Amino acid sequence: MDRTGPSPSWALFVGPYGIYLLVFLVVPFANVALLSVYHHSPTKIAIPGFTDANYAKLFELYYANLFLRTLRLSVVVTAVCVALGYPLAYVLARSTSRIMTLGLFLLIMPLMVSTVIRVFGWVVILGNEGLVNQGLRLLGAGDGVRLLYTEGAVILGLTQQSLPFMVLPIMAAIERIPPSLEEAAENLGASWGQMFVRVIWPLSMPGLLSGSLLVFSVSMSAFITPALMGGRRERMVGQQIYEEVLTAYDWPGAASLTIVLVVMMLGLVGLTLWATRRRARLEMTRR
Amino acid sequence: MTGRSKRMLWPVVIVVYALLLAPLVVVIVVSFGSTSTFDFPPKGLSLRWYRAFFGSEMFVRSFFRVSQVVGLLTALAATIAGTLAAIGLVRLRFRGRQAIETFFLSPLLVPHILLGAAVYLYLARLAWPTSSVTLLVGHIVIATPYVIRCVTAGLVGMDPRLEEAAMSLGASRRQAFFKVTLPLLRSSLVTGAVFAFIISFSDINLALFLAGPSAPSLPVHIFSQIQFEADPSIAAASALQIVIVGGLILVVQRLFRLRLMV
Repeated sequence: MDRTGPSPSWALFVGPYGIYLLVFLVVPFANVALLSVYHHSPTKIAIPGFTDANYAKLFELYYANLFLRTLRLSVVVTAVCVALGYPLAYVLARSTSRIMTLGLFLLIMPLMVSTVIRVFGWVVILGNEGLVNQGLRLLGAGDGVRLLYTEGAVILGLTQQSLPFMVLPIMAAIERIPPSLEEAAENLGASWGQMFVRVIWPLSMPGLLSGSLLVFSVSMSAFITPALMGGRRERMVGQQIYEEVLTAYDWPGAASLTIVLVVMMLGLVGLTLWATRRRARLEMTRR
Repeated sequence: MTGRSKRMLWPVVIVVYALLLAPLVVVIVVSFGSTSTFDFPPKGLSLRWYRAFFGSEMFVRSFFRVSQVVGLLTALAATIAGTLAAIGLVRLRFRGRQAIETFFLSPLLVPHILLGAAVYLYLARLAWPTSSVTLLVGHIVIATPYVIRCVTAGLVGMDPRLEEAAMSLGASRRQAFFKVTLPLLRSSLVTGAVFAFIISFSDINLALFLAGPSAPSLPVHIFSQIQFEADPSIAAASALQIVIVGGLILVVQRLFRLRLMV
Protein backbone atom coordinates (compact mmCIF):
# COMPACT_ATOMS: atom_id res chain seq x y z
CA MET A 1 0.00 0.00 0.00
CA ASP A 2 1.39 3.41 -0.88
CA ARG A 3 -0.13 6.82 -1.21
CA THR A 4 -0.22 6.96 -4.97
CA GLY A 5 -3.86 6.05 -5.19
CA PRO A 6 -5.43 2.99 -6.75
CA SER A 7 -3.07 0.49 -8.27
CA PRO A 8 -3.39 -3.15 -9.27
CA SER A 9 -1.91 -4.07 -5.88
CA TRP A 10 -4.95 -6.17 -4.96
CA ALA A 11 -3.16 -9.09 -6.56
CA LEU A 12 -0.69 -8.91 -3.70
CA PHE A 13 -3.52 -9.34 -1.23
CA VAL A 14 -5.76 -11.94 -2.78
CA GLY A 15 -2.89 -13.61 -4.61
CA PRO A 16 -1.39 -15.86 -1.90
CA TYR A 17 -4.58 -17.67 -0.91
CA GLY A 18 -5.82 -17.61 -4.51
CA ILE A 19 -2.74 -19.43 -5.74
CA TYR A 20 -2.83 -21.74 -2.74
CA LEU A 21 -6.42 -22.74 -3.53
CA LEU A 22 -5.56 -23.30 -7.17
CA VAL A 23 -2.71 -25.61 -6.24
CA PHE A 24 -4.36 -27.49 -3.38
CA LEU A 25 -8.07 -27.43 -4.27
CA VAL A 26 -8.61 -26.92 -7.99
CA VAL A 27 -5.73 -29.02 -9.29
CA PRO A 28 -6.45 -31.95 -6.92
CA PHE A 29 -10.06 -32.09 -8.10
CA ALA A 30 -8.95 -31.80 -11.73
CA ASN A 31 -6.65 -34.73 -11.03
CA VAL A 32 -9.61 -36.66 -9.60
CA ALA A 33 -11.64 -35.91 -12.73
CA LEU A 34 -8.77 -37.23 -14.84
CA LEU A 35 -8.34 -40.35 -12.71
CA SER A 36 -12.04 -41.08 -12.99
CA VAL A 37 -11.70 -41.85 -16.71
CA TYR A 38 -8.48 -43.85 -16.37
CA HIS A 39 -8.34 -47.64 -16.41
CA HIS A 40 -8.14 -49.39 -13.08
CA SER A 41 -5.24 -51.78 -12.70
CA PRO A 42 -4.66 -54.07 -9.72
CA THR A 43 -0.90 -53.67 -10.02
CA LYS A 44 -0.34 -50.09 -11.10
CA ILE A 45 -3.51 -48.54 -9.59
CA ALA A 46 -4.32 -46.41 -12.63
CA ILE A 47 -3.38 -46.61 -16.30
CA PRO A 48 -3.77 -43.49 -18.45
CA GLY A 49 -6.21 -43.83 -21.32
CA PHE A 50 -9.89 -43.05 -21.62
CA THR A 51 -12.56 -45.39 -20.30
CA ASP A 52 -16.10 -44.86 -19.07
CA ALA A 53 -16.02 -48.11 -17.10
CA ASN A 54 -15.69 -46.35 -13.73
CA TYR A 55 -18.91 -44.47 -14.32
CA ALA A 56 -20.71 -47.42 -15.93
CA LYS A 57 -19.88 -49.41 -12.80
CA LEU A 58 -21.92 -46.97 -10.71
CA PHE A 59 -25.09 -48.27 -12.37
CA GLU A 60 -24.52 -51.72 -10.92
CA LEU A 61 -26.98 -52.74 -8.24
CA TYR A 62 -24.46 -52.40 -5.40
CA TYR A 63 -23.58 -48.79 -6.22
CA ALA A 64 -27.15 -47.83 -7.09
CA ASN A 65 -28.23 -49.08 -3.67
CA LEU A 66 -25.34 -47.25 -2.04
CA PHE A 67 -26.38 -43.95 -3.59
CA LEU A 68 -30.08 -44.50 -2.92
CA ARG A 69 -29.42 -45.34 0.73
CA THR A 70 -27.19 -42.28 1.15
CA LEU A 71 -29.81 -40.07 -0.51
CA ARG A 72 -32.64 -41.51 1.57
CA LEU A 73 -30.74 -41.10 4.87
CA SER A 74 -29.74 -37.55 3.94
CA VAL A 75 -33.33 -36.59 3.14
CA VAL A 76 -34.53 -38.04 6.46
CA VAL A 77 -31.78 -36.25 8.41
CA THR A 78 -32.59 -32.96 6.66
CA ALA A 79 -36.30 -33.34 7.46
CA VAL A 80 -35.62 -34.17 11.12
CA CYS A 81 -33.29 -31.17 11.34
CA VAL A 82 -36.00 -28.88 9.95
CA ALA A 83 -38.55 -30.23 12.43
CA LEU A 84 -36.22 -29.86 15.43
CA GLY A 85 -34.19 -26.87 14.29
CA TYR A 86 -36.95 -24.53 13.19
CA PRO A 87 -38.58 -24.09 16.63
CA LEU A 88 -35.18 -23.52 18.23
CA ALA A 89 -34.26 -20.98 15.55
CA TYR A 90 -37.50 -19.11 16.16
CA VAL A 91 -37.10 -19.02 19.93
CA LEU A 92 -33.46 -17.87 19.66
CA ALA A 93 -34.27 -15.20 17.07
CA ARG A 94 -36.93 -13.72 19.33
CA SER A 95 -35.06 -14.03 22.62
CA THR A 96 -33.18 -11.49 24.71
CA SER A 97 -29.51 -11.03 23.93
CA ARG A 98 -28.52 -12.85 27.14
CA ILE A 99 -30.38 -16.03 26.24
CA MET A 100 -29.15 -15.68 22.67
CA THR A 101 -25.51 -15.59 23.83
CA LEU A 102 -25.94 -18.73 25.91
CA GLY A 103 -28.02 -20.43 23.23
CA LEU A 104 -25.43 -19.75 20.54
CA PHE A 105 -22.60 -20.99 22.72
CA LEU A 106 -24.42 -24.27 23.40
CA LEU A 107 -25.19 -24.57 19.70
CA ILE A 108 -21.74 -23.80 18.27
CA MET A 109 -19.59 -25.51 20.89
CA PRO A 110 -20.76 -29.07 20.05
CA LEU A 111 -20.33 -28.26 16.36
CA MET A 112 -16.67 -27.44 16.88
CA VAL A 113 -15.79 -30.59 18.80
CA SER A 114 -14.38 -33.32 16.56
CA THR A 115 -17.00 -35.52 14.89
CA VAL A 116 -15.27 -38.62 16.13
CA ILE A 117 -15.69 -37.52 19.73
CA ARG A 118 -19.41 -36.86 19.33
CA VAL A 119 -19.83 -40.24 17.69
CA PHE A 120 -17.89 -41.83 20.56
CA GLY A 121 -20.39 -40.26 22.98
CA TRP A 122 -23.24 -41.87 21.08
CA VAL A 123 -21.48 -45.23 21.09
CA VAL A 124 -21.38 -45.05 24.90
CA ILE A 125 -25.03 -43.94 25.12
CA LEU A 126 -26.47 -46.47 22.69
CA GLY A 127 -24.25 -49.48 23.43
CA ASN A 128 -25.49 -52.72 24.90
CA GLU A 129 -24.63 -51.57 28.43
CA GLY A 130 -25.37 -47.96 27.57
CA LEU A 131 -27.67 -45.43 29.14
CA VAL A 132 -30.67 -46.19 26.95
CA ASN A 133 -30.47 -49.92 27.45
CA GLN A 134 -30.10 -49.50 31.21
CA GLY A 135 -33.23 -47.38 31.19
CA LEU A 136 -35.11 -49.96 29.16
CA ARG A 137 -33.99 -52.70 31.54
CA LEU A 138 -35.18 -50.72 34.54
CA LEU A 139 -38.56 -50.29 32.90
CA GLY A 140 -38.59 -53.95 31.96
CA ALA A 141 -39.04 -52.89 28.36
CA GLY A 142 -36.20 -54.88 26.89
CA ASP A 143 -32.80 -56.39 27.48
CA GLY A 144 -29.77 -55.48 25.43
CA VAL A 145 -31.74 -53.98 22.55
CA ARG A 146 -29.55 -53.45 19.51
CA LEU A 147 -29.56 -49.69 19.07
CA LEU A 148 -26.06 -49.22 17.74
CA TYR A 149 -25.12 -50.35 14.23
CA THR A 150 -28.58 -49.52 12.88
CA GLU A 151 -29.86 -46.93 10.44
CA GLY A 152 -31.65 -45.19 13.31
CA ALA A 153 -28.33 -44.69 15.09
CA VAL A 154 -26.79 -43.16 11.96
CA ILE A 155 -29.76 -40.79 11.59
CA LEU A 156 -29.47 -39.78 15.24
CA GLY A 157 -25.74 -39.15 14.97
CA LEU A 158 -25.98 -37.17 11.75
CA THR A 159 -28.87 -35.11 13.13
CA GLN A 160 -26.86 -34.17 16.20
CA GLN A 161 -23.91 -33.17 14.04
CA SER A 162 -25.79 -31.09 11.51
CA LEU A 163 -28.54 -29.41 13.56
CA PRO A 164 -26.54 -26.19 14.12
CA PHE A 165 -26.14 -25.83 10.34
CA MET A 166 -29.93 -25.76 10.11
CA VAL A 167 -30.62 -23.50 13.09
CA LEU A 168 -28.16 -20.69 12.33
CA PRO A 169 -29.38 -19.66 8.83
CA ILE A 170 -33.06 -19.94 9.83
CA MET A 171 -32.38 -17.86 12.91
CA ALA A 172 -30.66 -15.20 10.83
CA ALA A 173 -33.63 -15.10 8.42
CA ILE A 174 -36.20 -14.78 11.22
CA GLU A 175 -34.18 -12.05 12.92
CA ARG A 176 -34.54 -9.99 9.77
CA ILE A 177 -38.35 -10.13 10.03
CA PRO A 178 -39.40 -7.19 12.20
CA PRO A 179 -41.47 -8.33 15.22
CA SER A 180 -43.85 -5.48 14.38
CA LEU A 181 -44.92 -7.49 11.32
CA GLU A 182 -46.08 -10.31 13.59
CA GLU A 183 -47.92 -7.88 15.83
CA ALA A 184 -49.57 -6.22 12.86
CA ALA A 185 -50.84 -9.55 11.56
CA GLU A 186 -52.19 -10.49 14.97
CA ASN A 187 -53.78 -7.05 15.46
CA LEU A 188 -55.54 -7.50 12.16
CA GLY A 189 -57.15 -10.64 13.55
CA ALA A 190 -54.85 -13.44 12.42
CA SER A 191 -54.36 -16.25 14.89
CA TRP A 192 -50.76 -17.11 15.77
CA GLY A 193 -50.94 -20.10 13.45
CA GLN A 194 -52.24 -18.03 10.53
CA MET A 195 -49.65 -15.36 11.15
CA PHE A 196 -46.91 -18.00 11.19
CA VAL A 197 -48.04 -19.60 7.93
CA ARG A 198 -48.55 -16.30 6.09
CA VAL A 199 -45.70 -14.18 7.48
CA ILE A 200 -42.89 -16.01 9.24
CA TRP A 201 -42.72 -19.23 7.23
CA PRO A 202 -42.52 -17.62 3.75
CA LEU A 203 -40.09 -14.93 4.88
CA SER A 204 -37.79 -17.43 6.56
CA MET A 205 -37.69 -19.64 3.46
CA PRO A 206 -34.24 -18.48 2.24
CA GLY A 207 -32.73 -19.42 5.61
CA LEU A 208 -34.53 -22.76 5.55
CA LEU A 209 -33.22 -23.50 2.06
CA SER A 210 -29.60 -22.70 2.83
CA GLY A 211 -29.78 -24.61 6.11
CA SER A 212 -31.23 -27.64 4.34
CA LEU A 213 -28.53 -27.44 1.71
CA LEU A 214 -25.78 -27.48 4.34
CA VAL A 215 -27.34 -30.34 6.32
CA PHE A 216 -27.95 -32.36 3.19
CA SER A 217 -24.39 -32.00 1.96
CA VAL A 218 -22.96 -32.91 5.40
CA SER A 219 -25.06 -36.09 5.41
CA MET A 220 -24.37 -37.02 1.80
CA SER A 221 -20.63 -37.02 2.46
CA ALA A 222 -20.73 -38.53 5.96
CA PHE A 223 -18.04 -41.03 6.77
CA ILE A 224 -17.21 -41.26 10.48
CA THR A 225 -20.81 -41.59 11.66
CA PRO A 226 -21.88 -44.47 9.40
CA ALA A 227 -18.48 -46.13 9.88
CA LEU A 228 -18.77 -46.21 13.69
CA MET A 229 -22.54 -46.19 14.26
CA GLY A 230 -23.92 -47.94 11.17
CA GLY A 231 -24.27 -51.60 10.34
CA ARG A 232 -21.82 -53.40 8.11
CA ARG A 233 -24.36 -53.77 5.38
CA GLU A 234 -25.84 -50.30 5.39
CA ARG A 235 -22.89 -48.35 4.13
CA MET A 236 -22.86 -44.83 2.75
CA VAL A 237 -20.97 -43.32 -0.19
CA GLY A 238 -18.33 -41.66 2.03
CA GLN A 239 -17.30 -45.04 3.43
CA GLN A 240 -17.00 -46.48 -0.04
CA ILE A 241 -14.72 -43.64 -1.17
CA TYR A 242 -12.54 -44.01 1.92
CA GLU A 243 -12.17 -47.73 1.38
CA GLU A 244 -11.51 -47.57 -2.34
CA VAL A 245 -8.75 -45.00 -1.76
CA LEU A 246 -7.04 -46.36 1.34
CA THR A 247 -7.69 -50.10 1.45
CA ALA A 248 -8.88 -51.35 -1.95
CA TYR A 249 -6.57 -49.04 -3.96
CA ASP A 250 -9.21 -48.66 -6.66
CA TRP A 251 -8.40 -45.01 -7.28
CA PRO A 252 -10.26 -44.61 -10.57
CA GLY A 253 -13.32 -46.09 -8.86
CA ALA A 254 -13.04 -43.71 -5.91
CA ALA A 255 -12.49 -40.83 -8.34
CA SER A 256 -15.72 -41.51 -10.24
CA LEU A 257 -17.66 -41.69 -6.95
CA THR A 258 -16.12 -38.39 -5.84
CA ILE A 259 -16.96 -36.67 -9.12
CA VAL A 260 -20.57 -37.88 -9.00
CA LEU A 261 -20.97 -36.58 -5.43
CA VAL A 262 -19.39 -33.23 -6.30
CA VAL A 263 -21.62 -32.82 -9.36
CA MET A 264 -24.70 -33.67 -7.29
CA MET A 265 -23.76 -31.06 -4.69
CA LEU A 266 -23.00 -28.38 -7.26
CA GLY A 267 -26.31 -29.10 -8.97
CA LEU A 268 -28.09 -28.75 -5.67
CA VAL A 269 -26.34 -25.47 -4.85
CA GLY A 270 -27.27 -24.15 -8.30
CA LEU A 271 -30.88 -25.25 -7.86
CA THR A 272 -31.12 -23.55 -4.48
CA LEU A 273 -29.65 -20.32 -5.81
CA TRP A 274 -32.05 -20.43 -8.74
CA ALA A 275 -35.02 -21.05 -6.42
CA THR A 276 -34.13 -18.18 -4.08
CA ARG A 277 -33.55 -15.77 -7.00
CA ARG A 278 -36.83 -16.77 -8.63
CA ARG A 279 -38.57 -16.28 -5.32
CA ALA A 280 -37.04 -12.84 -4.90
CA ARG A 281 -38.17 -11.93 -8.43
CA LEU A 282 -41.71 -13.16 -7.77
CA GLU A 283 -41.90 -11.10 -4.60
CA MET A 284 -40.72 -8.04 -6.50
CA THR A 285 -43.46 -8.38 -9.12
CA ARG A 286 -46.09 -9.04 -6.48
CA ARG A 287 -45.43 -5.70 -4.83
CA MET B 1 -44.97 -13.33 19.70
CA THR B 2 -47.51 -14.20 22.32
CA GLY B 3 -46.26 -15.75 25.51
CA ARG B 4 -48.43 -18.83 25.09
CA SER B 5 -47.11 -19.96 21.72
CA LYS B 6 -43.54 -19.31 22.80
CA ARG B 7 -44.00 -21.50 25.86
CA MET B 8 -45.29 -24.26 23.59
CA LEU B 9 -41.93 -24.30 21.83
CA TRP B 10 -39.82 -24.67 24.98
CA PRO B 11 -40.09 -28.48 25.20
CA VAL B 12 -38.67 -28.73 21.68
CA VAL B 13 -35.85 -26.36 22.63
CA ILE B 14 -34.96 -28.48 25.64
CA VAL B 15 -35.03 -31.70 23.61
CA VAL B 16 -32.78 -30.18 20.95
CA TYR B 17 -30.19 -28.99 23.46
CA ALA B 18 -30.30 -32.35 25.26
CA LEU B 19 -29.64 -34.04 21.92
CA LEU B 20 -26.80 -31.66 21.05
CA LEU B 21 -25.05 -31.91 24.40
CA ALA B 22 -25.74 -35.52 25.43
CA PRO B 23 -22.71 -37.10 23.73
CA LEU B 24 -20.35 -34.46 25.11
CA VAL B 25 -21.65 -34.71 28.68
CA VAL B 26 -21.46 -38.50 28.60
CA VAL B 27 -17.86 -38.45 27.33
CA ILE B 28 -16.75 -36.09 30.09
CA VAL B 29 -18.47 -38.11 32.83
CA VAL B 30 -17.16 -41.45 31.55
CA SER B 31 -13.61 -40.08 31.49
CA PHE B 32 -13.69 -39.84 35.30
CA GLY B 33 -14.87 -43.43 35.71
CA SER B 34 -12.86 -45.98 37.66
CA THR B 35 -13.73 -49.20 35.82
CA SER B 36 -12.26 -50.39 32.56
CA THR B 37 -15.59 -50.32 30.72
CA PHE B 38 -17.50 -47.23 29.66
CA ASP B 39 -19.97 -47.22 32.55
CA PHE B 40 -22.51 -44.48 32.63
CA PRO B 41 -23.19 -43.46 35.32
CA PRO B 42 -19.69 -44.46 36.49
CA LYS B 43 -19.42 -47.00 39.30
CA GLY B 44 -16.73 -44.91 40.97
CA LEU B 45 -14.69 -41.81 40.27
CA SER B 46 -10.99 -41.71 39.51
CA LEU B 47 -8.37 -40.03 37.39
CA ARG B 48 -6.87 -43.30 36.18
CA TRP B 49 -7.81 -42.70 32.54
CA TYR B 50 -6.14 -39.33 32.56
CA ARG B 51 -3.03 -40.97 33.98
CA ALA B 52 -3.32 -43.67 31.31
CA PHE B 53 -3.71 -40.98 28.66
CA PHE B 54 -0.61 -39.08 29.73
CA GLY B 55 1.24 -42.36 30.12
CA SER B 56 0.45 -43.50 26.57
CA GLU B 57 3.14 -42.51 24.13
CA MET B 58 0.81 -42.57 21.13
CA PHE B 59 -1.84 -40.41 22.77
CA VAL B 60 0.67 -37.87 24.03
CA ARG B 61 2.39 -37.72 20.66
CA SER B 62 -0.83 -37.35 18.68
CA PHE B 63 -2.08 -34.68 21.05
CA PHE B 64 0.99 -32.53 21.66
CA ARG B 65 3.27 -33.23 18.71
CA VAL B 66 0.71 -33.52 15.94
CA SER B 67 -2.67 -31.95 16.67
CA GLN B 68 -1.41 -29.05 18.74
CA VAL B 69 1.53 -28.16 16.52
CA VAL B 70 -0.39 -28.51 13.26
CA GLY B 71 -3.27 -26.51 14.80
CA LEU B 72 -1.01 -23.63 15.83
CA LEU B 73 0.80 -23.53 12.49
CA THR B 74 -2.54 -23.68 10.66
CA ALA B 75 -3.79 -20.77 12.74
CA LEU B 76 -0.68 -18.74 11.94
CA ALA B 77 -0.71 -19.40 8.19
CA ALA B 78 -4.49 -19.07 7.83
CA THR B 79 -4.53 -15.78 9.73
CA ILE B 80 -1.89 -14.24 7.51
CA ALA B 81 -3.35 -15.51 4.21
CA GLY B 82 -6.94 -14.87 5.30
CA THR B 83 -6.32 -11.35 6.55
CA LEU B 84 -4.58 -10.38 3.34
CA ALA B 85 -7.39 -11.89 1.28
CA ALA B 86 -10.10 -10.18 3.34
CA ILE B 87 -8.44 -6.76 2.99
CA GLY B 88 -8.09 -7.29 -0.73
CA LEU B 89 -11.72 -8.31 -1.04
CA VAL B 90 -13.17 -5.49 1.06
CA ARG B 91 -10.97 -2.49 0.41
CA LEU B 92 -9.97 -2.84 -3.17
CA ARG B 93 -12.53 -2.70 -5.93
CA PHE B 94 -11.81 -4.79 -8.95
CA ARG B 95 -13.69 -6.76 -11.50
CA GLY B 96 -14.59 -10.29 -10.54
CA ARG B 97 -14.41 -9.50 -6.83
CA GLN B 98 -17.64 -11.40 -6.16
CA ALA B 99 -16.43 -14.46 -8.04
CA ILE B 100 -13.16 -14.47 -6.13
CA GLU B 101 -14.98 -14.20 -2.82
CA THR B 102 -17.15 -17.20 -3.71
CA PHE B 103 -14.03 -19.10 -4.74
CA PHE B 104 -12.27 -18.22 -1.48
CA LEU B 105 -15.19 -19.39 0.65
CA SER B 106 -15.76 -22.55 -1.40
CA PRO B 107 -13.75 -24.81 0.97
CA LEU B 108 -16.62 -24.29 3.43
CA LEU B 109 -18.96 -26.06 1.00
CA VAL B 110 -16.74 -28.81 -0.38
CA PRO B 111 -17.24 -31.92 1.79
CA HIS B 112 -14.01 -32.51 3.68
CA ILE B 113 -13.92 -36.24 3.01
CA LEU B 114 -13.88 -35.50 -0.73
CA LEU B 115 -11.24 -32.81 -0.34
CA GLY B 116 -9.13 -35.19 1.75
CA ALA B 117 -9.39 -37.92 -0.87
CA ALA B 118 -8.66 -35.48 -3.72
CA VAL B 119 -5.56 -34.02 -2.05
CA TYR B 120 -4.37 -37.52 -1.11
CA LEU B 121 -4.64 -38.76 -4.70
CA TYR B 122 -2.86 -35.63 -5.91
CA LEU B 123 -0.01 -36.07 -3.44
CA ALA B 124 0.26 -39.71 -4.49
CA ARG B 125 0.69 -38.60 -8.08
CA LEU B 126 3.39 -36.15 -7.04
CA ALA B 127 4.98 -38.96 -4.98
CA TRP B 128 4.85 -36.69 -1.93
CA PRO B 129 4.55 -38.92 1.16
CA THR B 130 1.91 -37.98 3.75
CA SER B 131 3.09 -36.57 7.07
CA SER B 132 2.26 -33.73 9.44
CA VAL B 133 3.40 -31.36 6.70
CA THR B 134 0.77 -32.58 4.24
CA LEU B 135 -1.81 -32.42 7.05
CA LEU B 136 -0.86 -28.78 7.58
CA VAL B 137 -1.18 -28.15 3.84
CA GLY B 138 -4.73 -29.52 3.88
CA HIS B 139 -5.76 -27.70 7.04
CA ILE B 140 -4.72 -24.32 5.66
CA VAL B 141 -7.18 -24.86 2.79
CA ILE B 142 -10.15 -25.41 5.12
CA ALA B 143 -9.23 -23.00 7.92
CA THR B 144 -8.49 -19.84 5.92
CA PRO B 145 -12.14 -19.17 4.90
CA TYR B 146 -13.03 -18.80 8.59
CA VAL B 147 -10.40 -16.08 8.98
CA ILE B 148 -11.61 -14.39 5.79
CA ARG B 149 -15.17 -14.30 7.14
CA CYS B 150 -14.10 -12.94 10.47
CA VAL B 151 -11.81 -10.24 9.15
CA THR B 152 -14.29 -9.27 6.42
CA ALA B 153 -16.97 -8.78 9.07
CA GLY B 154 -14.55 -6.68 11.11
CA LEU B 155 -13.56 -4.52 8.14
CA VAL B 156 -17.13 -3.99 6.96
CA GLY B 157 -18.16 -2.89 10.44
CA MET B 158 -15.34 -0.36 10.64
CA ASP B 159 -15.71 3.32 9.85
CA PRO B 160 -13.41 4.11 6.89
CA ARG B 161 -13.21 7.69 8.08
CA LEU B 162 -10.95 6.61 10.95
CA GLU B 163 -8.23 5.65 8.51
CA GLU B 164 -8.90 8.77 6.44
CA ALA B 165 -8.63 10.93 9.55
CA ALA B 166 -5.27 9.40 10.37
CA MET B 167 -4.09 10.09 6.84
CA SER B 168 -5.30 13.67 6.88
CA LEU B 169 -3.30 14.12 10.08
CA GLY B 170 -0.20 13.16 8.17
CA ALA B 171 0.03 9.40 8.47
CA SER B 172 1.03 7.51 5.38
CA ARG B 173 -1.36 4.88 4.10
CA ARG B 174 0.89 2.21 5.56
CA GLN B 175 1.08 3.95 8.95
CA ALA B 176 -2.68 4.47 8.99
CA PHE B 177 -3.17 0.80 8.32
CA PHE B 178 -0.78 -0.47 10.94
CA LYS B 179 -1.55 2.14 13.60
CA VAL B 180 -5.33 2.49 13.19
CA THR B 181 -6.94 -0.28 11.18
CA LEU B 182 -5.00 -3.28 12.41
CA PRO B 183 -5.48 -2.53 16.13
CA LEU B 184 -9.20 -2.09 15.50
CA LEU B 185 -9.26 -5.46 13.78
CA ARG B 186 -7.64 -7.16 16.75
CA SER B 187 -10.71 -9.03 17.98
CA SER B 188 -11.55 -10.23 14.47
CA LEU B 189 -8.00 -11.47 14.01
CA VAL B 190 -7.97 -13.30 17.33
CA THR B 191 -11.35 -14.89 16.61
CA GLY B 192 -10.24 -15.93 13.14
CA ALA B 193 -7.02 -17.44 14.45
CA VAL B 194 -8.84 -19.32 17.22
CA PHE B 195 -11.35 -20.75 14.77
CA ALA B 196 -8.58 -21.75 12.39
CA PHE B 197 -6.91 -23.59 15.28
CA ILE B 198 -10.17 -25.32 16.28
CA ILE B 199 -10.93 -26.37 12.69
CA SER B 200 -7.52 -27.99 12.43
CA PHE B 201 -7.60 -29.42 15.95
CA SER B 202 -11.00 -31.08 15.45
CA ASP B 203 -10.70 -32.16 11.84
CA ILE B 204 -10.77 -35.85 11.12
CA ASN B 205 -11.93 -36.19 7.52
CA LEU B 206 -8.82 -34.61 6.03
CA ALA B 207 -6.54 -36.06 8.67
CA LEU B 208 -7.62 -39.64 7.85
CA PHE B 209 -6.05 -39.20 4.43
CA LEU B 210 -3.29 -36.67 4.99
CA ALA B 211 -1.83 -37.22 8.46
CA GLY B 212 0.22 -40.21 7.39
CA PRO B 213 0.31 -43.58 9.17
CA SER B 214 3.20 -42.83 11.52
CA ALA B 215 1.91 -39.54 12.96
CA PRO B 216 -1.88 -39.67 13.42
CA SER B 217 -3.57 -36.57 14.76
CA LEU B 218 -5.55 -36.91 17.98
CA PRO B 219 -8.95 -37.43 16.29
CA VAL B 220 -7.45 -40.04 13.95
CA HIS B 221 -5.86 -41.87 16.86
CA ILE B 222 -9.18 -41.79 18.74
CA PHE B 223 -10.90 -43.13 15.62
CA SER B 224 -8.59 -46.12 15.31
CA GLN B 225 -8.78 -46.79 19.05
CA ILE B 226 -12.60 -46.87 18.96
CA GLN B 227 -12.48 -49.27 16.05
CA PHE B 228 -9.93 -51.71 17.33
CA GLU B 229 -9.77 -51.57 21.13
CA ALA B 230 -12.01 -49.84 23.60
CA ASP B 231 -9.46 -48.25 25.89
CA PRO B 232 -11.12 -45.71 28.20
CA SER B 233 -8.24 -43.27 27.83
CA ILE B 234 -10.16 -42.38 24.63
CA ALA B 235 -12.67 -40.76 26.97
CA ALA B 236 -9.95 -38.77 28.74
CA ALA B 237 -8.50 -37.62 25.42
CA SER B 238 -11.96 -36.66 24.15
CA ALA B 239 -12.84 -34.83 27.36
CA LEU B 240 -9.62 -32.81 27.08
CA GLN B 241 -10.53 -31.86 23.52
CA ILE B 242 -14.05 -30.82 24.54
CA VAL B 243 -12.70 -28.64 27.35
CA ILE B 244 -10.10 -26.97 25.12
CA VAL B 245 -12.57 -26.26 22.30
CA GLY B 246 -15.30 -25.13 24.72
CA GLY B 247 -12.89 -22.83 26.56
CA LEU B 248 -11.61 -21.26 23.34
CA ILE B 249 -15.13 -20.60 22.08
CA LEU B 250 -16.10 -19.09 25.41
CA VAL B 251 -13.17 -16.69 25.07
CA VAL B 252 -13.89 -15.61 21.49
CA GLN B 253 -17.59 -15.23 22.16
CA ARG B 254 -16.68 -12.20 24.26
CA LEU B 255 -14.87 -10.68 21.30
CA PHE B 256 -17.03 -11.45 18.33
CA ARG B 257 -20.52 -12.21 17.08
CA LEU B 258 -20.16 -15.95 16.80
CA ARG B 259 -23.00 -16.55 14.43
CA LEU B 260 -21.08 -14.97 11.57
CA MET B 261 -18.73 -17.91 11.68
CA VAL B 262 -20.86 -20.79 10.51
